[in-house]
Amino acid sequence: MTSTHTSAVANPAPEERLPGSASTWRVTAPEPRIPADLHVDTTLPPRERLARWKARHALRRTRARSAFDASRNPERGLPVAPARRAFAFVRELASTRKAGAVAMIGLNVGAAIAALVVPRLLGNLVDDAAQGASLTQTDQVLMIVIGVVLVQAVLAALAKRASAVVGYDLLASAREYVVGTVLRLPLGHVEAASSGDLVTRITSDVSKMSTAVRWSLPALVTSLSMVALTVVALLLNSPLLTLPLIVSGVMLFFAVRHYLRNAAPGYIAESATYSKINSTITETVEGTRTVEALGLHDIRQARLDDDTAESAQAERYTMSLRNLLFMWLDLAFQLPLVLVVLLGTWGYDAGLVTIGQVTTAAIYLQQLVTPLDRLIQVLDHLQVGVAATTRLLGVAELPDDRTPRDLVPVGADVVGRDLRFAYRSGHDVLHGIDLHLRPGERLAIVGPSGSGKSTLGRLVAGINRPRTGEVTVGDVDVMDLPLPVLRTQVCLVTQEHHVFMGSLRDNVVLAREGDATDAQVRDALVAVDAGDWVDRLPLGLDTPLGRGRTELTPAQAQQVALARLVIADPHTLVLDEATSLIDPDTARHLEGSMTALLTDRTVVAIAHRLHTAHDADRIAVVIDGRIAELGSHDDLLAADGEYAHLWRTWRS
Amino acid sequence: MRDFPPEVLPGDTPTWRSPLSFLTWLVRGQAGLVTLMTVLVVVWQLPSVLSPLLLGRAIDAGMIARDPLATAGWSGLLLLAVVVGAAGGILQHTYVVRSWVIAIYETQRRVGHTSGRLGHVLGRRVPTGEVLSVASSDSDTFGATLEVASRFIGALISFALVCVLMFTTSPMLALVVIVVSPLLLAASTPVLRPLSAAQRDERTQNSELTSLATDIVAGLRILRGIGGEATFGANYATQSQKVRFLGVRVGTWQGVVEAISVLVSGVLLVALVYLGTHELSAGRLTVGQLISFVGYALYMLSPLQTFFDFSQKWIAGLVAAAKTSALLGAQSPWRSGGAPVGPSPRLVDEASGVEVIPGRFLAVASADPDASAALVDRLGRYLPSLAGRHEEDDDEEGLRGKALRQARSERAARRAVQAARDEEAAQQRWGVTADGVDLRDVDLASLRKRVVVSDTASMLFAGTLQEAIDPWGRATRDRAEEALIAASAEDVFDALPGGWQGTIDEKGRGLSGGQRQRLILARALLADADVLCLVEPTSAVDAHTEARIAPRLAAYREGRTTVVTTASPLILHQADEVAFLQDGVLVARGTHTDLLTRPDYRRVVARGMEEGDD
Repeated sequence: MTSTHTSAVANPAPEERLPGSASTWRVTAPEPRIPADLHVDTTLPPRERLARWKARHALRRTRARSAFDASRNPERGLPVAPARRAFAFVRELASTRKAGAVAMIGLNVGAAIAALVVPRLLGNLVDDAAQGASLTQTDQVLMIVIGVVLVQAVLAALAKRASAVVGYDLLASAREYVVGTVLRLPLGHVEAASSGDLVTRITSDVSKMSTAVRWSLPALVTSLSMVALTVVALLLNSPLLTLPLIVSGVMLFFAVRHYLRNAAPGYIAESATYSKINSTITETVEGTRTVEALGLHDIRQARLDDDTAESAQAERYTMSLRNLLFMWLDLAFQLPLVLVVLLGTWGYDAGLVTIGQVTTAAIYLQQLVTPLDRLIQVLDHLQVGVAATTRLLGVAELPDDRTPRDLVPVGADVVGRDLRFAYRSGHDVLHGIDLHLRPGERLAIVGPSGSGKSTLGRLVAGINRPRTGEVTVGDVDVMDLPLPVLRTQVCLVTQEHHVFMGSLRDNVVLAREGDATDAQVRDALVAVDAGDWVDRLPLGLDTPLGRGRTELTPAQAQQVALARLVIADPHTLVLDEATSLIDPDTARHLEGSMTALLTDRTVVAIAHRLHTAHDADRIAVVIDGRIAELGSHDDLLAADGEYAHLWRTWRS
Repeated sequence: MRDFPPEVLPGDTPTWRSPLSFLTWLVRGQAGLVTLMTVLVVVWQLPSVLSPLLLGRAIDAGMIARDPLATAGWSGLLLLAVVVGAAGGILQHTYVVRSWVIAIYETQRRVGHTSGRLGHVLGRRVPTGEVLSVASSDSDTFGATLEVASRFIGALISFALVCVLMFTTSPMLALVVIVVSPLLLAASTPVLRPLSAAQRDERTQNSELTSLATDIVAGLRILRGIGGEATFGANYATQSQKVRFLGVRVGTWQGVVEAISVLVSGVLLVALVYLGTHELSAGRLTVGQLISFVGYALYMLSPLQTFFDFSQKWIAGLVAAAKTSALLGAQSPWRSGGAPVGPSPRLVDEASGVEVIPGRFLAVASADPDASAALVDRLGRYLPSLAGRHEEDDDEEGLRGKALRQARSERAARRAVQAARDEEAAQQRWGVTADGVDLRDVDLASLRKRVVVSDTASMLFAGTLQEAIDPWGRATRDRAEEALIAASAEDVFDALPGGWQGTIDEKGRGLSGGQRQRLILARALLADADVLCLVEPTSAVDAHTEARIAPRLAAYREGRTTVVTTASPLILHQADEVAFLQDGVLVARGTHTDLLTRPDYRRVVARGMEEGDD
């Protein structure tokens, strides 16, 4: 089967040796990343330039939309939940915290009312003074003003604190929920996917959600109550002088609506362009030796230029959005004052309003600017927060293909029957494999890359469900075993060297976190020859490990990993050399620890190195999704097949 | 006027004596923009500055005097101010964005140039994390610094304008506003300290919380495969509650600050109105003027706020400038120029005694793989990597004041020592000759072109599969197929939807270690170097695949100089010659079959071979 490839090389038939090569190879330069329509031509007359600008703005909007849509429906990676789930999620969290929410709203309303009383009193004062009231009278009013200011200060402080209490409480529950869902991710997905997407979600999306929950939600309450109550206060002060607000209301409504509809896609597309720049720079800097060795500097720099140009387009788009918004905001905030003066003059003349009322209205209008401004910012952040939250909730939407049942395996026989598996439908990588592991034996699986040997290991370990057939442990389908039970039966050993941030005990106890005693943990560490250094640790099992705390040497980390398996005590282990179980250097020092772990267990070793295979009881040679040869080292040499050929090449 | 994205040429980066000189260089580079921004800040603030005055006049001259014409005049002026202000605001925002993103993009481009100028030496000078933080966060800080600088000058002008307006109306009230308002604002500084301490605690614990989350994701395979979800879920929850507690503390202090700011503006208002009513009754002030003063007092707090803002952001700018100027100013230790390296040079390494004969396939085997890697580094004139040697004391978390300054100056000193050492290494005889010329005296660019080294830390870059193995865009499809097949990476091609245009993620994430390694090998083959040095090119590949790669690699490089370090008999077997090193020195040279007669060689190249004899 390998010979097909060998013959292809020996006898090149360019169209056939790599199917799909001719149709996908690109000969011409790729499309420029910035279409020509987006370049600015400064030589045109002004009218033409405005039309061009409009066209560019529309094109940038389309680009932002499509970048946004792509981020909403990722081709690969984890799913994204619909927006309504985010609202339902927040509602649910908030519903259990009614008392706090009521206190927060109450205090904010109180503070807003106090803030509105002051200008009213000042307005009255102006009237009094204008009508020549006595100074003692006005001084008394000022004493009241001081009292109100004090009350307002206290209420404002309490409102801020109450907002923090509610905001941080909501946030803590939300992020703990998210980490909980991550810890429940289906095993098959965890093993298959790269963790990049998940890391982004748990760092940058959690921080966006944090801003929304911690700052925007409370700020929404504060600014909404302030805005609403100011309008009420304006009405109470003088309905006539409130009329100008209708003008600003209309302006704000349309301007803000237009802005909000486009802002979220704009900002998400913009931040995606910065992520792109960052990942280009990260690659260049981390791979600086590769760049130097291969003479790629100009190419990397050109790529950065392209990323930058793309980012500049996204920046121009959001800038125009904000400019349009700011124009209307500035007008909406300032024009009412002009109208108040005009209406005020007319009303004063007609005896409808006093100077004091005009003063009060002017101050109120001034006071309205900050909360309105903040309200728009809040809506902006909330949109981004909702988008982040839907990505976080999407993590929970991965279907699990396990069907746990309450069954107890009898015995330690592991049997696979008619195993087929496909990562892409229609492309089986395993073609009906039958396998019976004898308890206590060591089976090595060898074969070229892409032959399906790792997949076979994953099916045996119960990570994925085969398309057809089943793997049973003690006559129970592995996919029917709940994970905590599966782990004490069969374990796939991967990524050994990860040491968690946590105590040494936390790092070892994993599989039996519920019931293992300290003595058992210690015994497991002693079993893998780690007793010496563990005894030397000042805090023993409580010693905090991980980055920036006590750091272990690679060999010690490996021992911790092995101790985890000793504690789990499964009767069958699947070792994949490809995923760095034993890096040869450390392995040499750990021979004793390994032997302690492997003795009396069934071991399936997916072997890269031939000596691993040589040491096994039986060897399965997997080629193109089938077991081509199966038997002991000597059997296979006698059979003079693929394995024997490889062995001889290796030995000669 | 500069526009974005900015053009930045390599080689026009000066060196800076101090962080301050960096910041002034930054401002000078955008002098036109900063001036324009400053003027526009004033224009934008015009309605706020003038409206108290105009409102007061409208009330006095229009309303109270019942003169509709005067009202119309004053409110017309007010309208004009509003419209001019709105236009100024838009322009100001436009130029702020322009200057801000120019600062970001320019810093990023210069980081790129620096990385190109220093090459692999960059990693010996500055930890990768710090380079990236200059590109992503310090660049943004510079944008903010430029913005706040222009806003600061603008606020100074507006402040002066309002002062003048106030003095012309009532010097006494003006004095009160000018003297009292900074004092009142300063009253809130004592609580800013505990607030920022609380914020710092919260940030520290929050970043610890983020680390816990990333740690969980990084070890998720273990947690889902072996167990421990409850333990680490609980650890996360405990930390999350800690952050919540600290967050509420921050909220409490913010509440205190808020209360003080309410009191400050309230007291200022009351004081003004108190004095104002007394002046009014004494006939020294009109109603309209009193209203104007209330407006001024409310406005004055905003430029003062800007001054505080400026002092904080300028300091942040200086901190970022220190890091950035040190990075961008770093110089390459190599002397430029030198003799060009001829085609297919003969390389001789003096330290080990290994000679690389043109046109031959030389394998290097050594009991200590690091010794082989070091030999290849010497052949390519690479300074060894310092990975893992950057001390953790680069961490500034928890350091403040004097301790922080000391930590920074110690770090700067350490890096200067490192730079001096590199410099010295580059000045001395290198110890490897190319056609008889010591590598110190050859032109680096021509050496890189002739001698290509692909080490174990080689990086696969994001892009299409075609770009990943032919980043130069110069290979023919035929040649690319040959290289891919020689590296036995057909399975990667098959598995990738879209064939050559299939997507390779950042750093080749999503591919297995073996797949990445084989693509890197294919790319190294396509580099088409006169001398190709490969370090452990099949360490992550299984024996079957390795057995395929070995003859294909030899055939692909037929007649061209190739050096491969490995301990795999499958590859050693294909080499024209094997150099066997012990303690970094050549002890034997010959074909694999010849050398197999040596027991020490057998021990190195095939663990288990001895036992396999029976």
